[in-house]
Amino acid sequence: MKLQFNLNGKLVETEASADATLLSVLRDNLGLTGTKEGCGVGECGACSVLLDGRLVNSCLTLAAQVNGHKVITIEGMCLPDGSPNDLQQAFIEVGAVQCGFCTPGMVLAGEALLAENARPSRLEIRTAIAGNLCRCTGYQQIVDAIQITAQKRQEKKTDA
Amino acid sequence: MHQFGYVQAASVSDAVLLLNEPGLQSRPLAGGTDILLQLKHEPQFCDRLVDISQLTELHRIEQRDGWVHIGAAATFAEVLENPIISATAPVLAQACATVGATQIRNMGTLGGNVANAAACADSLPALICLDATAKILTPAGEEEIPLSEFVTGPNCTSLPSGGLLVSLSYPIPEEGSRSAFLKLGRRNAMAISRLTVAALGRVDAQRVITEARLVTGSATPRIERLAAVEQTLVGKKPTAELYRQAAAVTVDEMIRLAGYRWSSEFKVPALTAMTERVFAQVFDHKEVR
Amino acid sequence: MPELQFIGKPINRVDALEKVLGTAKYVGDYVLPGMLIARTLRSTVPHARIVRVDVSPALKIPGILAAITCEDFVDQGRFGYPIADMFMLAYQRVRYAGDGIACVAAENETALKLGLDAIVVELEELPGVFDAMTALDPQAPIIGETPRDAPDFPRGNLVTHYIVRQGDAQSELATCPVILEEDYTTLHQEHAYIETEGALAIPAPEMSGVTVYAPCQSPFLNRGNLMRTLGLGEDNVRVIQPHVGGAFGGKDDLMYQISGQVAKLALLTGRPVKMILSREESIIASYKRDAMHMHIKLGAETDGKLRACAVNATVDSGAYTSITPFTSWRSSIHAMGPYRYDACAVDTDAVYTNNGYAGAFRGFGNPEVCFAIEQAMDELALKLKIDPIELRLKNCLRDGDTTAHGQKLGDDVALVECLEQVRKLSDWKRKHTLYSRLSTEPAKPGELRRGIGVAAVFHGMSLGAEGADFAVSTLEINPDFTLTLTSGLTDYGTGSRTAFTLIAAETLGLNPDRIVMPRPDTDQSHDSGPTVASRGTILGGNATRIAAERIGSQLNQAAADLLGCRVDQITRHGELFISPREEPVTFENVVEHAHKMGLTLYSRGRWSPPEIHWSMETGQGKPYFAYHYGTQVAEVLVDSGTGKVEVTGIWAVHNTGTIIFPQGAYGQLYGGITQGLGYALMERVDYDKGYIQATNFDEYLIPTALDVPDIEGVFVQDSFPAGPYGAKNLGEPGMVPAAPAILNAITNATGRRIRSLPANLERVLLGKDLLKEGSSTACKLGLK
Repeated sequence: MKLQFNLNGKLVETEASADATLLSVLRDNLGLTGTKEGCGVGECGACSVLLDGRLVNSCLTLAAQVNGHKVITIEGMCLPDGSPNDLQQAFIEVGAVQCGFCTPGMVLAGEALLAENARPSRLEIRTAIAGNLCRCTGYQQIVDAIQITAQKRQEKKTDA
Repeated sequence: MHQFGYVQAASVSDAVLLLNEPGLQSRPLAGGTDILLQLKHEPQFCDRLVDISQLTELHRIEQRDGWVHIGAAATFAEVLENPIISATAPVLAQACATVGATQIRNMGTLGGNVANAAACADSLPALICLDATAKILTPAGEEEIPLSEFVTGPNCTSLPSGGLLVSLSYPIPEEGSRSAFLKLGRRNAMAISRLTVAALGRVDAQRVITEARLVTGSATPRIERLAAVEQTLVGKKPTAELYRQAAAVTVDEMIRLAGYRWSSEFKVPALTAMTERVFAQVFDHKEVR
Repeated sequence: MPELQFIGKPINRVDALEKVLGTAKYVGDYVLPGMLIARTLRSTVPHARIVRVDVSPALKIPGILAAITCEDFVDQGRFGYPIADMFMLAYQRVRYAGDGIACVAAENETALKLGLDAIVVELEELPGVFDAMTALDPQAPIIGETPRDAPDFPRGNLVTHYIVRQGDAQSELATCPVILEEDYTTLHQEHAYIETEGALAIPAPEMSGVTVYAPCQSPFLNRGNLMRTLGLGEDNVRVIQPHVGGAFGGKDDLMYQISGQVAKLALLTGRPVKMILSREESIIASYKRDAMHMHIKLGAETDGKLRACAVNATVDSGAYTSITPFTSWRSSIHAMGPYRYDACAVDTDAVYTNNGYAGAFRGFGNPEVCFAIEQAMDELALKLKIDPIELRLKNCLRDGDTTAHGQKLGDDVALVECLEQVRKLSDWKRKHTLYSRLSTEPAKPGELRRGIGVAAVFHGMSLGAEGADFAVSTLEINPDFTLTLTSGLTDYGTGSRTAFTLIAAETLGLNPDRIVMPRPDTDQSHDSGPTVASRGTILGGNATRIAAERIGSQLNQAAADLLGCRVDQITRHGELFISPREEPVTFENVVEHAHKMGLTLYSRGRWSPPEIHWSMETGQGKPYFAYHYGTQVAEVLVDSGTGKVEVTGIWAVHNTGTIIFPQGAYGQLYGGITQGLGYALMERVDYDKGYIQATNFDEYLIPTALDVPDIEGVFVQDSFPAGPYGAKNLGEPGMVPAAPAILNAITNATGRRIRSLPANLERVLLGKDLLKEGSSTACKLGLK
């Protein structure tokens, strides 16, 4: 079936089988391999994307369901010149990245949280990323990165 | 060659037509978190999915004539974020908040949770505690059925083949009612419920209990209000000792209904503790961690 | 030592950028024209004789281009280190449920499934061994390949037997006034890296061979296996390690099988072949941390002075030996804990069973024994009414002590300092007194109780007497004034690439940005053995330092010549070389002058640890050249109504020597502790008659962000002379003491002692686990 949707700010068209998951369309049809498969059953969050601004597991979303909707993947997070945005930069600087496999999902989970809660507590951050498994970092520096970014964005707001 | 087909319903009635199209085994697709896994393990489960997730009327949550109506495709996130729910049924908001994690709550729906009717489904104890009803649509017309009758056992509902669950409704509890939900899992997110309890209660001006409801999840073959427990409470003043008595009746009911099983040695003490706690939360305003 | 410029300073991980952007390529992300997909047909029974395998029906399926069995490899694809007892595909027998039997390459998923279904496999089921404690019974079926009376190990089901002997432990124990004798058991543990296994092979006709992209831990081991089993030479096989999505020790053996299978299929078809395992397949087929049963007998004086220790341990090695001969050796060396004894006896048997198979996993044999000995110490402390930290301070190893192995330690034994610091940091005295008093009173129904527990660890650095130990790094200055640094040791998220870069930068006085470390590639780097057992920082770091010093000395020669002075007269300021007359020249100037002088700006550094030796017969020697020391305290909140345990605080003090890459070090510590927390509370690999029960992350539970507290980590950075810039290791020991600290805390809260992992809801509430009813094969063997 034909699909048309907004992907990272641009309209894309592709053909996919009715039973294809969004994850497979992103990776195999559209060549965007930043979104990962970790378990295939919606438990690990490595496949997380933003669907109309909401964090979802693309391995449990049919590609057909995003027809006419807005999808953001990790590839859509960076600045127009390709450099990391402030959250991604924070991940780098505080050491929140080790093997990097969970990182795309974590960055999106962080962005999704900050879009609806500009001043999250550490507990709220942990709750927001609880559907993203990480085996390397123990989560602490990831929480730090999201918290620091929230603080910096607030400072910018008050400065402005 | 694809494993199953997909069609998007243009309206609720269109969905019913599609679900009843002859020659095809069609099932509704809402959040997909259960059915897509089902299809992975059982490729023959159905031939086609009918997407109802895009129908705005199935996401509507509204208050009308003393009832709250929730569209079957409302996600856990939509339900728990809705002020009508938090005002009238904290037990349901709390239940939705314990499901999975962010992603699952954004995708999974109340209707899907009910129709799948897993023994450990988190929304069911809360909904049944609220005396919720389910509205089913079939080619023959509309039917409203108490949820406690709709869910007949683990993974079993009375949904007729080709029927569509369109909404869940509950009568708004009387002024002064309080409700709460507790879940026990093996970790703090993305955990299958080992046990859940949903409770609701109200006291009069003399602090005498005038209403008490209790439903347990992952404990009995049918998810139902335990009348024997409720009778222990009504007409009495809430005390820790009373909760203990109620908890003892709760585990007796669990054994009576489910038999003494391999897991009972654990569930008896754990359910006792959870029952006492949920009543303390409802009647003593004691927030549980 | 002069002030360090880069080492120990906040710095960004070298490969973090591509990871946060999502552009880092893992093997599953590679797509090549004409690429085929491959999958392995795996045994669904734990032990069987292979009567017949016929892949020809598969070859008739359109879209199937090749199908292989063990017969397609040299010597049936036999490989394995240190004992070569496994095969690229099963030979004669399948020995665990998940053992690979045949493999196909297909154009697409549909053909792949049809092809696998078409393969004819006839198996004759054999009786199996599912309880490690019965593996050595005279009637037990033999799972290995050698008879019970073979001259060398393995002997029947006995893979190895290791001893440690100090004096006569039994006689000593007989005279001790206080005895603590208990059994402790651990379960297997699944690595649960978020990226599953996989490999991509690209035929390379120009070198009559094949290139394999494999996220394995040891590209040279992989290449060696491929050479041997494919009958190719060193020039025909190239192994490249792309980004690795986590390994923790788990990407060896199974990775070599996958690499061999795709390589052979690529050679047969002339097309690239990729295999990526599903999560179920990964959990079913991959090796685990071994399960261990330990019987400990401690003897002490009434004042708490330890006198003797006897440990009898059985290690479930599963169907193949993998690296268990090394991990079980490490278990025996560490079984007695970091304490002084008058006598000690350790006996460790590693046995074959049909419970999957066991291999390397962070900790490498120490987490199991640390779990046991640190609880035994705690039980002794309770028995004697001595504070657990006091008991450890009384008995722990100090500078210059002789260990139970007969090794005289140096002056780097910072255990006392770690214990004292962690005691202060965690507010131990106040909490332990309070929680101990409260736990003597019976819990009110549904009461939440707090507890605090401690555990100490020592962890021998590098392979020790386990195996040949060296590492090689190379450094070259490029025409564009960048430097290329290679190492045979690999970074799978651990941060070694960053650490080595910093060491090179510090040694040369150059900006780390100039230094590029390409991904490990057998064509470019030099064999340095496997990246396991905390070898990275010390061996790779030292090798890097040596390579940097060598190039540095060339640069100094050139600078001296350019500046017209002696080498010892040059001073450095940032990247500038400055003459005694204060003339500065840039790094670029020096390099250009070096070229003019004809100096070679390429160097190689090799480093081996100081001499170690071990006698298998006497159970004495110098097993490791040095040890890492550390302590952790855990605080828990236990729900006495439901058995749920919340870990509310963790304090970790580790003697790491100099920290090279701070964010990386903290990350390794937090991550290791989190794996220990999962090991302690929720992770279960259950084999039921050889069938693994949990096959995906819905049932195999690892900690989420809501299950771990904020951890407070402190590094005791006393410089360790043998390490690069004074560094020790950290990757593994961070993980080791977490589980016993948590279990000791649970006992402090509840008064109940749990001697089996995991301390799940049932064990905490009831004191025992409950066995689920139902068929053992009910697990979802999702192997298609």
